[in-house]
Amino acid sequence: MKHTVRVTINGRLYEEDVEPRLLLSHFLRENIGLTGTHIGCVVGECGACTILLDNKLVKSCLHFAVQAHGREITTIEGLAKNDELSPIQEAFVKHYALQCGYCTPGMVLASYALLRDHPNPTEEQIRKGLAGNLCMCTGYMQIVEAVKDAARGSPHG
Amino acid sequence: MAKFVGSRTRSKEGPRHVTGRGFYTDDFTLPGMLQAVVLRSPHAHAEIVSVDPSEALNPNVMAVITPDDIKRATKPFKPGRYAAGLKRPIDEYASAVDRVRYVGEPVAAVAARDRGIAEDALEWIAVEYEPLRAVVDVREAIKPSSAVLFDELGTNLAWQGSLSYGDIEGAFRSADRVVKENLKIHRYSSTPLEPFVVVAAYDGASRRLTVWVTAQVPEVIYDGVREALGLQDVRVIIPDVGGGFGQKIHLIRKYVVLVSLLAIKTGRPVKWVEDRSEHMMAGGHACAQEFEAEAAVKNDGTVLGLRFREYDDVGGSISTLTIHFTNKLNNLSNTYRTPAIHMEGFAVVTNKCPVIPNRGIGKPGMCFVWERMMDRVAQALNLSPIEVRRKNLIQPNEMPYRTISGNVYDSGDYPGLLSTLLEKINYDKLREEQKDARAQGKLMGIGVVIGVEPGGRNAARDMAIFPEMKEPPGSGGINGATIKLEKNGTIALFLGSPNCGQAHETTTAQVAAEILGTTPDQISTSIPFDSDLSPWGVAAANSGNNFHLYDIGAIHGAATRLKEKILKLAAHVLDTEPAKLTIENGVVQLPGSMAKKIAFAELGRIAYNNQHLIPDDMEAGLQTTFYYTFPHAKPNIVPGADRLVRAQFTFSAGAHAAVVEVDKQTGTVEVLRYLIVGDNGTVINPDVVNGQVFGSAAHGIAVALGEGFVYSPEGQPLTITYLDYGKCSTAETPKIEVIHRPSPSPFTPLGQKAAGEGAAIPSPAAIASAVEDALAPLGVKIRGLPLTPEAVWRLVHGRGSEKEGA
Repeated sequence: MKHTVRVTINGRLYEEDVEPRLLLSHFLRENIGLTGTHIGCVVGECGACTILLDNKLVKSCLHFAVQAHGREITTIEGLAKNDELSPIQEAFVKHYALQCGYCTPGMVLASYALLRDHPNPTEEQIRKGLAGNLCMCTGYMQIVEAVKDAARGSPHG
Repeated sequence: MAKFVGSRTRSKEGPRHVTGRGFYTDDFTLPGMLQAVVLRSPHAHAEIVSVDPSEALNPNVMAVITPDDIKRATKPFKPGRYAAGLKRPIDEYASAVDRVRYVGEPVAAVAARDRGIAEDALEWIAVEYEPLRAVVDVREAIKPSSAVLFDELGTNLAWQGSLSYGDIEGAFRSADRVVKENLKIHRYSSTPLEPFVVVAAYDGASRRLTVWVTAQVPEVIYDGVREALGLQDVRVIIPDVGGGFGQKIHLIRKYVVLVSLLAIKTGRPVKWVEDRSEHMMAGGHACAQEFEAEAAVKNDGTVLGLRFREYDDVGGSISTLTIHFTNKLNNLSNTYRTPAIHMEGFAVVTNKCPVIPNRGIGKPGMCFVWERMMDRVAQALNLSPIEVRRKNLIQPNEMPYRTISGNVYDSGDYPGLLSTLLEKINYDKLREEQKDARAQGKLMGIGVVIGVEPGGRNAARDMAIFPEMKEPPGSGGINGATIKLEKNGTIALFLGSPNCGQAHETTTAQVAAEILGTTPDQISTSIPFDSDLSPWGVAAANSGNNFHLYDIGAIHGAATRLKEKILKLAAHVLDTEPAKLTIENGVVQLPGSMAKKIAFAELGRIAYNNQHLIPDDMEAGLQTTFYYTFPHAKPNIVPGADRLVRAQFTFSAGAHAAVVEVDKQTGTVEVLRYLIVGDNGTVINPDVVNGQVFGSAAHGIAVALGEGFVYSPEGQPLTITYLDYGKCSTAETPKIEVIHRPSPSPFTPLGQKAAGEGAAIPSPAAIASAVEDALAPLGVKIRGLPLTPEAVWRLVHGRGSEKEGA
């Protein structure tokens, strides 16, 4: 039996009938077509599928699509406004805080939420704050630098 | 004066990735596309008695393929160069056909309307197995009492052989001392975050197969699929690749065949996405290597000879039998002048995941042997480990230097790397701090190692070890690039290798802009790789640290030719000589003349539209393709009777210092500082090269400190998630510092050398050295990895097997 999900994603309301077992990560990718939400493990360890659900940082593979009913989601596609990169996105580009790009959407959203909650984080806060998102390429050095730079340049309001 | 080469040009890949607009294979959907899943063996070792799919089929399950289908509809893969040394041919198909040899080995595959339905269908495939004794331990595997994986071989010792350079017996005869040690490196992998993904579509009427795949080497897919399926017309498309590290070179071809067969059988496009646990159990591991090493030394620390015996645990496949051994020819001498080296290898098949070419393939093991032995020699002779290394280093005035096995080191200042490292890390002061720390009962240690990072490629190297080979399995490297001036004056590049995170787009744009006199923002590099459109990059693909040599070489050559054409056309239009013209910001001009200038956009309009403005002796169009080969590859590109061979062609290097503190209570190793002084030749983009160094160092450190695959005695994999496996996050990964001290290569167009595998090669040795130094007051020796907290705790508390080390 399918269930109806009404959910606001990146400011736009969607209504879809879904199977109860459909994961939110797959719903976003396959039903809505927002493929910036990546899937690396499907068990909540890697963070590639990180999104904001009612402004809270969550791993979308750990939610069913039906749990998003009546709620608001921001995916990586919703962060840049009018094709202008947000400060944290710009900092990632500037510092080469990515290589293959697969972890990047989740890492950017985790960094965004970190800076929203801690506008002037210490290195330790950054490293703790991003520990739910794995990257196999960078050794994290340039990611940490990007977050520091974004904090210095333009704290999120 | 270089404008863009060496500059921090803005990342061209960055904007699409930070906005979620990267385009990976799984982002691709075709009308009517089905989803595939793979049924895998739950047994480490078993005969397949029967596979009955009849219960699994229903209106939403479109096809099941079984071992019978595989045997009927496909041919086994031809044993490629990775299987060199195999005593007699053994068929390896895309799935198991009569016996399973590791947990996770594919047995059957299903295509259904969606993934959930396909996974449900797996439950209904009835497989009867007859379990056999699992072979897990290498030393047990080669005993006559062991169960045997391949009856054709009659033994699990699938290959054994040796190779000598120099007078090894003489070296040991004339030695003051012989220093011996047993060492080991465990199974690990780089576990790319994007798992294997394949989409296949078959046009039956035209007998044309198209595959989209997250693969590193197009050639492996192109050849493997054509051979296995007996098709001629195959198109391979490789979009953004979410991390490679070697994992996506070889083994993934099996899945391309399985998915393609499902597409052929159903007449519908089929997508398969591997899940994480599938990757961890069956996606390929770096080889566990055990070494028995001995060094012949003089009392002053000179190493006269190195002899080592290597046991490789290659897992349940013969298709990558000897790669971790043969690859040791690439850095066999490391940074040292030692005049005699003897290597002996044993490739042992076991009921574990097959090994694959992971970041450095055996080179981290070779460096580990050298650097652990250097520390041992220092201990045996009561010399400083720094002095022992210095005593044996190849000197800068000897460059280019031919090593004992025939490698030609292009450039490098190894003593300089070491002295800069010691100076910048304040080595003498650290030793003072260590005394104080020890006085307070703290276990602080300092490890200093050095290693080369070879780049380029020469598979004919294998003939030194397998002289019975009749023809070279791909000698040297040949790699194409196409460059086109568009009608609007911008530049398009087409590379022979797919991009998996090494900033191909940014780096090639910098080089092309430099040569053509335009700016990187006017240049776009085509992603995906498409075998219908892209030049072949058979040599380079994106493995083995080849990008710097072959892709950059090809782009350099293609851009140089295009520039000649641009100047010729411009000179004709402006009625002057090409040699008198200059190019700046995409405008060709005659210096000193206001009127005589023409923009690339205007040339683009002429080149494709206006025949009468094109010189008669010029090929129309502003497009060139250039295939690069390394011009200094000879002699010794193919080994002769003396077995001398150039295994790779450029030699980056790095000196690493690790400072650690061991927590006695928990066995946890904290890395207090990690400094690399690196020589990657001319750095085209410092941010890109730094990223490669940081990433490879972080992985090597994590490998040393605990990440790795663990099996139960029954051959069950116990590490099938990132957490089990011990993947490091920002919280565990130490800060890494990099200082560049480049010695540009005299043999490459820009002086560039490799960066990518680099810091993953010496870093496991650096950590081992530092931890051993920390535990020196306890008299503990580090002989093996990984140094998990448990292993270190056991060493600290004297409860570990000292022989094992970890």
